Amino acid sequence: MNAADSDEQLVRKAQADDERAFGELVHRYESKVYSLALKMLRNPEDAEDVLQDTFLRAYRGIKSFQGHSTFSTWIYRITANSALMRLRKKQLPMVSIDDADERETPINIADWSPSPVEQLLSQETQVAMNEAIEALPAEFRQVFVLRDIEELSNAEVADILDLSVAAVKSRLHRARLKVRNRLAAYFSEPKPRRAMGANS
Amino acid sequence: MMTCKEVLDSLSAYLDEDLKQEVREEMHKHIGVCTDCRAEFDTLTMTVKLYRHYEKTEMPASCHDRLVKVLELEKLRPKSGKTSGTGA
Repeated sequence: MNAADSDEQLVRKAQADDERAFGELVHRYESKVYSLALKMLRNPEDAEDVLQDTFLRAYRGIKSFQGHSTFSTWIYRITANSALMRLRKKQLPMVSIDDADERETPINIADWSPSPVEQLLSQETQVAMNEAIEALPAEFRQVFVLRDIEELSNAEVADILDLSVAAVKSRLHRARLKVRNRLAAYFSEPKPRRAMGANS
Repeated sequence: MMTCKEVLDSLSAYLDEDLKQEVREEMHKHIGVCTDCRAEFDTLTMTVKLYRHYEKTEMPASCHDRLVKVLELEKLRPKSGKTSGTGA
């Protein structure tokens, strides 16, 4: 086993019972898996459960991994499914992804966009951003986290979630609108906030 | 000219540079004269920008240590010969 081995080479070695090769795959992906799980679940204990569950599943299933997708996609898929199962258990009552609360015509939305990103990104804003993600139905949250936070492509997200690219685009757009609407409400609150430059 | 609904439906595709040039130009025209759609466009753009700067989280070292222990225990378990059905 060589640290310079490609994922594909490591997978082949791990399939031949090379424990160190599997260990190297764990080393390469554990932070990414944990990060994705934490962003989806917003809870460190749940994220660690998903981390362990993901690599246990990967360890048990590595011999049946046929390489139709990359190892990266495969491990993300296991992570996303494990996190989704936990989200579904927690999100009661279930919110249908068909519940449309997006507007079809614009209203007078407060335009907070002229403020620089750095100015908007206060600790208080991070809390509002976290809450906006937590308010998303699980299926929207998966797409939003993978696409807009992990910055994967629509095609990669579709592959991971076993969706069509069109479905990913549709869910992403609706997720962005929901998140934006939550942030718009936060930024338009009348109370003075440090986030909006009270120090200036 | 595009309607407000058409513009709103296309905002994400615009941000992801997933629109034909002529449609992008039509959107530009609409946004140039429709202040409501302009605000929708600007705030959605800022939303995406904000999350691109989202907090970066480090995995605690203790998580790695516990993961290694869990995998070590798994290796000690007798093999059942079954897979977990995660093959791809």
